[in-house]
Amino acid sequence: MHFLVFNVIDNIRSLGWSGAFQLLRNGVVLGSLYALIALGYTLVYGILKLLNFAQGDVFMVGAFLGYGVLTAFGGALNPEIGLVPLILLMFAAAMVGSGVLGVSIERFAYRPLRNAPRIAPLISALGVAFFLENSAQLLTGGYVYSYDALELGGKNGNLGPLESPVFSVAGNPVTVVQVFVVATAVGLMVGLMLLVSRTRFGKAMRATAFDREAASMMGIDTDRVISYTFFIASMLAGAAGVMFGLYIGTTFFFMGFLAGLKAFTAAVVGGIGSIPGAVLGGLLVGICESFAIGYVGGQWSDIVVFGILILFMFVRPTGLLGSRAIQKV
Amino acid sequence: MLKKVGLVAVLAALVSVVVATTAWGSGKPRVLAAATASVKCGTKVTIGVAYPATGAVAAAGANQWDWALTAKKLWNKSHHLKINLVPGDTKLDTDASFNIAVAHTFASNGSMLAVTGPAGSQENQDANPIYKGAGLASVSGSATRIFLTRATPGNPLELPHGYFFRTVPNDGEQGDAVAKFIHGTLKAKHVYIIDDGTSYSTGLADQVQADLKKDGLNPGRNHTTTAVVDYSSLITAIPNNTQVVYIPWQVAGNAQAFYQQSHAAGKKYKVFGSDGTDVPGTFEPKGVGYVSGFPVDFSNPTVKAFSKAHSGPETFGIPTYTAVWVNARAIQMACTAGHGKTTRTAVRKDIPKVKLTKAQSLLGFAVQFLKKNKGAWQGYGDMGGAASFGIYHVTSSGAYVRVG
Repeated sequence: MHFLVFNVIDNIRSLGWSGAFQLLRNGVVLGSLYALIALGYTLVYGILKLLNFAQGDVFMVGAFLGYGVLTAFGGALNPEIGLVPLILLMFAAAMVGSGVLGVSIERFAYRPLRNAPRIAPLISALGVAFFLENSAQLLTGGYVYSYDALELGGKNGNLGPLESPVFSVAGNPVTVVQVFVVATAVGLMVGLMLLVSRTRFGKAMRATAFDREAASMMGIDTDRVISYTFFIASMLAGAAGVMFGLYIGTTFFFMGFLAGLKAFTAAVVGGIGSIPGAVLGGLLVGICESFAIGYVGGQWSDIVVFGILILFMFVRPTGLLGSRAIQKV
Repeated sequence: MLKKVGLVAVLAALVSVVVATTAWGSGKPRVLAAATASVKCGTKVTIGVAYPATGAVAAAGANQWDWALTAKKLWNKSHHLKINLVPGDTKLDTDASFNIAVAHTFASNGSMLAVTGPAGSQENQDANPIYKGAGLASVSGSATRIFLTRATPGNPLELPHGYFFRTVPNDGEQGDAVAKFIHGTLKAKHVYIIDDGTSYSTGLADQVQADLKKDGLNPGRNHTTTAVVDYSSLITAIPNNTQVVYIPWQVAGNAQAFYQQSHAAGKKYKVFGSDGTDVPGTFEPKGVGYVSGFPVDFSNPTVKAFSKAHSGPETFGIPTYTAVWVNARAIQMACTAGHGKTTRTAVRKDIPKVKLTKAQSLLGFAVQFLKKNKGAWQGYGDMGGAASFGIYHVTSSGAYVRVG
């Protein structure tokens, strides 16, 4: 234990402020990716009180859909179309494809169990997650596929425009892709909040979340509302998948498992059911993970992340921005 | 009521007697029975292949299975006695229960005469008692920890002689070659080592770290896992004066992601992979990378055909090809000596007699198993002879050129 503490102090000293900023930057970007997946968890939980454990694997499918479009247009090293239209197409394919997948999952794996005990759809969700993961493994041979995103749009093997610095802090660059990931996560969160609070559909979502039966009696097509919710949640995961590929540079069948668990942690820490909570939770998890790797060691990252989950369960089970629900007895 | 109770008691007693009698006779004799049970060779014999078909290192497992199938195809084309491969998914280090389940399945398969694999060192240590109990020897194409064949201070007992063989040089040989190159050829003074948490990676990382310390260096050390691909914070933790980062990882794609993220972060260190990342076309740290791997002859027709069929010369699974060939050869020898019948014991005893030429093994060196300790790290079951690791430099065009 003493050795660990001295090691941590030594690492903090040797990395200094520059290292600390780099870890903070890395954590914010990673956290934004977790936040996007967590938004999906929170949306679905808000409306159905269901923890959709397949969300992480929908994220994985999104990453592969983006990869498919990238390779269909020549790959990162020799793209046949311009960078911007290529990236837009990748997002479109991933978001629509993941959305359709999400709706299908809801229709066939969760809807039949809507009136079953709560544990049944939860188990079904786990089953769907394993099904998607193993299907992807069979289809892809288990290989890690490289987006080569760091060289996307670059010439002669040099770094592409996504890696260009937008600004620097103490000599540490913040690149286009890093800004893009964070901005997209925040933008989608704002968009989602506006959708839920300012639109007719959002009102229908809130009504369905509050009391599904009553909403149905008031003329709301709750099945349709739930389907659209899954579509939106899965679209967010698909978008996160493409951004992961562009930022990290790889995609593989197993990537959804750990990312999904950490995003779930983020959703719980932020307050399951709360949209800003999901983003806050994602950022917190990402930053803690980043600092754990940098200051303590790579083998500590999962211990820290899931330790946070346990801590919050003890100290604040409703999460940072969750609210206590009063149940009528 | 009393009659019913009495009847139940009598029945229970009878059942107990039957069970006890069966158990009395089913200890050692049953084990010996599996090992010495006569198996008709016929025209087809069965070899089990234990490998990680699923899980985080499924890519490496897929490569092993592809090479095993290549060995089967080529063997069956040129031999009257055909081999049939039975796969067993061990998931490598994910959960030991899968490996144990595969071992039990293989052990209880009466027609199985030999086992290729398992892939991981820890897997071999866990499964060996089951294979030994069933009279099976395992020939692994990727278990590299020294202690499997040669006792070390932390692991005083190597596996029982005659029940474990490997067609891959162990960590001592690879680690030694790598450390010598880093210190002697690259003249690096600041080295950082990152393992990926698998028993393969940790063992090799420990060996290189120990060898570099003997050379007077003080390498930094960190860890990751095969499921992680965001290395940004790990890269931040690497000291700025680092000249070489050694990543003995199981998954070449992850190693490539590490190199790309290091490149994007403006890092100038050299990235040094191991035989797990020895996949030209996937791991390409252009101009700044090195890899240790088998001195494979890429102009060999079998290697060329495999590369063409699989869109690339993936060499990680070549020792598995060699292991299947060793098993097939041993079974053939035993079947010939037994005039069409053999036992697991006979096959096991023939494995150390198998000799493969450089061209037959595909590894770049001949295969002949040791029957006693040799040098600092080789023991019974290791390959003797000129088993060696090559060091390859990855050029700016991504080609692997041998430099050591």
